[in-house]
Amino acid sequence: MIALQLAISGIATGSVYALIALGIVLIYKCSGVVNFAQGAYAMLGAYVTYALLKLGLPALLAVLVGMALMALAGMATERLILRRMLKAQIVSVMMVTLGLLIFFRAFCLAIWGPDQIAFPQVFPSGSIDFAGIFITYNYLAAFALATTLSVAFLLFYRHTSIGLMQRCAADNPRAALAIGIHVSNQVSIAWAASAALAGLGGALLATLGGLSLNISDIGLIAFPVIVVGGLESLAGALIAGFLLGMLEAFTEGMLSPAIEEFLRGFTTIQSVGALQQVIPYGLLVLMLLVRPQGIFGRAGTERV
Amino acid sequence: MTTRQILLALALAILFAAIGYNSGRFWAYLIYAVAIAGIGALSLNLLIGFCGQITFAQGALIGVGAYSAAIAGNAGWGGFSLLVAGVVTALVSLLIGLPALRLRGLYFAISTLAAQFILVYFFKILQPLTNGVSGLVVKPLTLFGRPVANDQEYVVICIAILFLSWLFLARITRTDMGRAFLVVRESELVARGMGIDVSRAKAQAFLLSGFFAGICGALFAFTSRLANPEAFEIALSVDQTAMIIVGGLGSLTGSIVGAAFVTLLPEAIERLGEFLPVAGLVSAFREMAFGLLIILFLLLEPRGLVAFVRRLAARRGGKANALAARAPAKTSNRAVTAQDGR
Repeated sequence: MIALQLAISGIATGSVYALIALGIVLIYKCSGVVNFAQGAYAMLGAYVTYALLKLGLPALLAVLVGMALMALAGMATERLILRRMLKAQIVSVMMVTLGLLIFFRAFCLAIWGPDQIAFPQVFPSGSIDFAGIFITYNYLAAFALATTLSVAFLLFYRHTSIGLMQRCAADNPRAALAIGIHVSNQVSIAWAASAALAGLGGALLATLGGLSLNISDIGLIAFPVIVVGGLESLAGALIAGFLLGMLEAFTEGMLSPAIEEFLRGFTTIQSVGALQQVIPYGLLVLMLLVRPQGIFGRAGTERV
Repeated sequence: MTTRQILLALALAILFAAIGYNSGRFWAYLIYAVAIAGIGALSLNLLIGFCGQITFAQGALIGVGAYSAAIAGNAGWGGFSLLVAGVVTALVSLLIGLPALRLRGLYFAISTLAAQFILVYFFKILQPLTNGVSGLVVKPLTLFGRPVANDQEYVVICIAILFLSWLFLARITRTDMGRAFLVVRESELVARGMGIDVSRAKAQAFLLSGFFAGICGALFAFTSRLANPEAFEIALSVDQTAMIIVGGLGSLTGSIVGAAFVTLLPEAIERLGEFLPVAGLVSAFREMAFGLLIILFLLLEPRGLVAFVRRLAARRGGKANALAARAPAKTSNRAVTAQDGR
């Protein structure tokens, strides 16, 4: 029963993680940039949505305006910073996204302070009792929204002309340029979409667990799982998100207590701490050694 | 490296040691903080700037050094604890480097990110060894049977070690081994073609870099008298990488300049903050400035302060110097960029 309960909360948070992970993969596919700042966009999105709600906007409008603002922020980042770094070394590009992460965190710290803020009630409170398993409306709504949006995005990517251009630009930028696709603009669009998705994801995370600077951690925590799913696979990112959610829930709820009890038997170690934040990285190390291209990555892609 | 350069560096080292030795605690602290960060930056630059192995585990490695020095020092090993820290950290660094034999660039960088998080996690939970999140209290370093307890003496020790590390690494980079690192950075294929054992070169780079990271950690532990996991989080890795980017990738002198810049900037902002009515915001501003610093440097002066200084010198003194500048060439092995295709 506990397992089922954990699975449900894991799937719900996992669906939000999937939304955030999608953005990382989208940017990587399109421009080869590893965006460590994705967590920062999630955090910024959450705070912006919070500010809009405080201004008295209705929830739906606040979320939409928040996403639009985040899209602008993402596009601005690409135009102002990443576009100038097309030929930079890989370590420089990683560092610039880390610099963005630090900057946005400090920005939110300066405006909203270091303490956790209770996020305004967006969804009705209460829960469904389903044969002894409780699902709060919060979780249900977050799951429904995140999943709908993820699926909608995948459909968009597959079936519209912008989506087709996105895929062309990601697949072979030179050929895309040759047939008249403005590749740089496609990269801008990818950043805008990615930041908007992350922003919504951040706001949903805030409805689940409160609003704090720690939302930005999700970028670095989700990273290993995305690599496990394959950095170039959107479907892999979705599955990676769900996997991460489940992994967290089960580690926190079942594995950690079990290990702690086991260790107490013959050592003085009392607690295994935040094991759920490290397990994805352990998984990653195993994965990189066994199958570096990820579960859904193409084996032929050169890993450079 | 000419004798003149060595003498100049020695003179600078003696100058700063003398200033630090004869000033108050605060200035002494600033000087040894820069020296310690400089040792770490040297070690990181050897790995990233010279050998091209991007790592984000530097913070955790410094932590390994700090904990091993703390444990050895508390057990009464005296000056040997520095050596112990170096050796232990070198071995851990080699372990972290193992995936580099199979993975390159981005994927290796991510595997070091994993090492960073996992090591810090171990610092937190290995209670019996590390005293967990509350941190391990470190006894002062004992040298020649006498505890070193004041900051002024640490200045001299740290500067001396920084100078020796710089000298040693500057020598190393001019040996066959050091040249092999450069070739591995530019192209592993070419290196192999030239008969360089790439795996061995990488292993050597990780061992060397790890050794100095360990020394850096040991000095950190002895001067701050506390080794706690929070100090060695990913933020420290980012600080260290920022130092070598600000200073200049592939420049040893640049590493030290960058270390000074990145260590002193927050202090300067803090001082400035005391005069402005923004008391609660100082830490936020400090972080913001740090983030901006990284971004602006990468955009405007990606080869670091050293390249900037060289350009100034070249503009004033004519040509020769600029040509001799050994900034790393573009190693654009990012998967795809819009302009140059695959």
